[in-house]
Amino acid sequence: MEVSDVFRIFAGVFSVVGLGLCLWLARVDFSKIPAERKVHLGVATLTGLAFFKLLALAALFAVPVVALGAANYHTIEGVHGVESCNRCHVMTPMVTDMRDPGSETLAARHFKNGWIPKDQCFQCHSDYGLAGDLRAKMEGYRHLARYTTGTYEEPIKFRGVFHNDNCLKCHAGTPKFVAVPSHATVQGRLAENSLSCLNCHGRAHPTREQRTPGHPDYTRLIGGDE
Amino acid sequence: MTEPTPETTPPAAPESLYRREFLWAMGGLGAATAAAFAGWGGLELMVPPGTADEWHKSTCRFCGTGCTIRVGMRDGEVVDIRGHEDGHNKGVICVKGTMLRSLPKIEGRLTTPMIRKNGELVPASWDEALDLIAGKFKEVRDAHGPDALAFYGSGQLFTEESYTANKLFKAGLRTNNVDGNPRLCMASAAAGYVTVFGKDEPPGSYEDIDHADFFFIFGANPYDCHPPLWERVQRRRALRREAFVVCVDPRRSETAKRSDLHLPVIAGTDLLLLNAMAQVIIADGLTDKAFIDRNVRFSHDGNTIDLAAFGALLAEYTPEKVESRLGIGADLIRHVAHRFAKSKASMSLWTMGVNQRTQGTRLNIMLNALHLLTGHICRPGATPFSVTGQPNACGGVRDTGSLSHALPAGRVVANPEHRAEVEKLWGVESGTISPNPGHHAVSLFRAMESGQVKAALIMCTNPGQSMPDSDRYAAAMEKCFTVVSEIVADSETAKAASVLLPAALWVEKQGVLGQGERRYQLVDKLLEPPGECRSDLWMLVELAKRLGLDRLIKAHTPQAVWDEWRQFSAGSAYDFSGMSYDRLRALPGLQWPCPTEQHPGTARRFVEGSDPLVKPGMGVQFYGHKDNRAHIPFCPYVPSPEQPSPEFPLYLTTGRVLEQWHTGTMTGRITELRDAAGPARFTVSAVDASRRGVESGDMIVVTSRFGDVQGRAVIDADMRPGLMFAAFYDARLLVNKVVADHVDPVSREPEYKLTAVQFRKAGA
Repeated sequence: MEVSDVFRIFAGVFSVVGLGLCLWLARVDFSKIPAERKVHLGVATLTGLAFFKLLALAALFAVPVVALGAANYHTIEGVHGVESCNRCHVMTPMVTDMRDPGSETLAARHFKNGWIPKDQCFQCHSDYGLAGDLRAKMEGYRHLARYTTGTYEEPIKFRGVFHNDNCLKCHAGTPKFVAVPSHATVQGRLAENSLSCLNCHGRAHPTREQRTPGHPDYTRLIGGDE
Repeated sequence: MTEPTPETTPPAAPESLYRREFLWAMGGLGAATAAAFAGWGGLELMVPPGTADEWHKSTCRFCGTGCTIRVGMRDGEVVDIRGHEDGHNKGVICVKGTMLRSLPKIEGRLTTPMIRKNGELVPASWDEALDLIAGKFKEVRDAHGPDALAFYGSGQLFTEESYTANKLFKAGLRTNNVDGNPRLCMASAAAGYVTVFGKDEPPGSYEDIDHADFFFIFGANPYDCHPPLWERVQRRRALRREAFVVCVDPRRSETAKRSDLHLPVIAGTDLLLLNAMAQVIIADGLTDKAFIDRNVRFSHDGNTIDLAAFGALLAEYTPEKVESRLGIGADLIRHVAHRFAKSKASMSLWTMGVNQRTQGTRLNIMLNALHLLTGHICRPGATPFSVTGQPNACGGVRDTGSLSHALPAGRVVANPEHRAEVEKLWGVESGTISPNPGHHAVSLFRAMESGQVKAALIMCTNPGQSMPDSDRYAAAMEKCFTVVSEIVADSETAKAASVLLPAALWVEKQGVLGQGERRYQLVDKLLEPPGECRSDLWMLVELAKRLGLDRLIKAHTPQAVWDEWRQFSAGSAYDFSGMSYDRLRALPGLQWPCPTEQHPGTARRFVEGSDPLVKPGMGVQFYGHKDNRAHIPFCPYVPSPEQPSPEFPLYLTTGRVLEQWHTGTMTGRITELRDAAGPARFTVSAVDASRRGVESGDMIVVTSRFGDVQGRAVIDADMRPGLMFAAFYDARLLVNKVVADHVDPVSREPEYKLTAVQFRKAGA
């Protein structure tokens, strides 16, 4: 089990406990707590009122803050996974194709050969560093907005510029990369994204034509993962 | 919030409280929604603009792969190039295609007509230049007859341009002296296909690469010369473990290094390998008898023979008998023959190592023959495939018959019926077309040298650098009134010009390109050419007017010429009458035959269900020959006239490198490509270098019977002793100065791949 999963389970349990605590506290009449009632908490002894005030503080502030943090963590980390992208059916053709050992797209070749061990979508679609992660999240949010409002059309089209950094962060400087003389002479163009790696190295995903409803490949691609 | 006391609260109070809280909640929700939408809107605006504002489908200008591309434009300039994902190339192009963006803006563009006066080229107006050319052409024709005129074209002109030039010279000026650089490049492939199938052009498609299990790459180096095709082969290998690649090349090329098996045959002997493989296939019973019985005819010296007799003729080519001359062991020959025959689908890919040979036609015939013998043809993945070097040698020159022996759509000058048909289609009087085949390329330049040809129009090619024995033929051009349509003023050919005409290139004009798999693609005009540059079609039309031939050359726009040629093709085996400009604009090209505007094009020729010209019920029909059979003549091995001697003990072979194309007129002026390739050099073996005291980086002088040339040597550990190599892209190392100009007796294609040479350290 990975750390993120442990954290997620812990946060889930914590949220449920917090919610139960809130509901329970809502039924407590603070004015009717006897002043003489003492609560023993191992090393300390509190008056009943102080104890319930502390519980209220936890229920109203501490638990929500931790739960919110956990939820955000879940959002930020959880959406790195391929499954997260695959939740929108317009992305399913990309995922199906990537997992198809008979496919020749770049995504499928990277997947099949295990070149990217996990979070395959995210690894190639986030630019380098924290800002890249943030940009990917922003783009993901835009996709989510489009998807939930139904303001998209199939086949979806990549907008903007696919940054070569996504390729270069692994490939630049490798012996195979350096062995190609033109990589050096087009380095500036690669860096400024005016020349795409994909030109010589092929398509990353199924074509738009294949992703258009009605195309013979569409049903297979949209049919799901298995 | 005030804490209400239960005793004093009026009954309405809780309701108003709930309403207020409801409003608060709704307000909060509204604000959150507004924030979410504002965030979304902001993000939509933040998506970076693409690399270009508009994208146009087009075709790469360089090699015969003919990749479909998307041209990105911004502010009226080409700013980006991408492979077209719906194209046959599936989005893959190479670095040369990627750098097409820089092509329209290369340095040194010729932008005004120039006329040579007192030995100097001086700027002139179009009228002045065209009047001079027309006047000179008429003068030569009147004084010396039409055969003192000539046209030397190119597999890079648009089809409309080659078709018009062919018509203007053959039917207008009445000379068959129409040839071009495809003679140097694929005449042997055409001769091979015509001999075997009766019609030119390959039966298969690039798509067959996706289905083949055995690749026989023979005298080709697709890694360097056709990178998208090599990439496709690599993908097939990645998907299919059984896929096996054999590369036959005397040189350990980049392709050979990456193949499963490299057969480094001794240069010039490879016909022995093909004949030995055929011998093994027949002797070991690996033939597809049913296919042969139905579809193949064998012959020897013009007489039809049966398979057994054909096999008997091959008895002198058993692996044991050829191994020492070929340099490949008998067991290995057998192994390859068995693998070829037994694979599920075998595909041969070949180019100039086969075509540019004095045995070029025979090699082509035997490569096709291996497929016919084993039935590896007319099925997905099973096909012989001659890959081409130029973007429009097939569609523009071979199909339009713009060669000295040919007429459009598979017809030949020597056939009176063919001449009569073409005269009728062109609407000229009977007897207009001369019955005498014109000069083929080498012969044409010799005729310029001897003074037989006195005026010539050269378009879109650089024979000053690309002809074998190039010094001799550059000098021949200077003896003649040579008109050169060029993009730069300082090419080796421009230097010899009497008149230079500034040509528009690629997307500065409109026209159709026909690449190696019978696919025609439209290139639309996207840019205005610089200065006074004009399309070659415009030049031909203007010249026709001045020659008083405007009644013949009536089509003045690319589309009008295309429609004329399209109608012309109807009913022929080259029928592409279903390819309108509109269809070609909408689709990433179409493969002929394509006889109606509804026809999807033909991926697999001679196959029922794919090829509309095959009669129903025939299954496979080689309709190019009257007996519906493919024809295999016996092709004995004849050694090349270039044999090593004590004076010239080494073989020089020439070729291309990945980042440069042909004579480098275009790619040599694009920084990224020029720097990646670097200057051309001679690659030599360590043994030959050390024997001559040469080290890597030394300047050497290479001599042959044809001349000498100086260049830098690089020692290549993979080069076999006795062989050396140079690419021909660099005008500072004009390797063709020393290259032999022997030609194939059938195709008349020169033998660039084999010249006996010697080298020594410069200054020694």
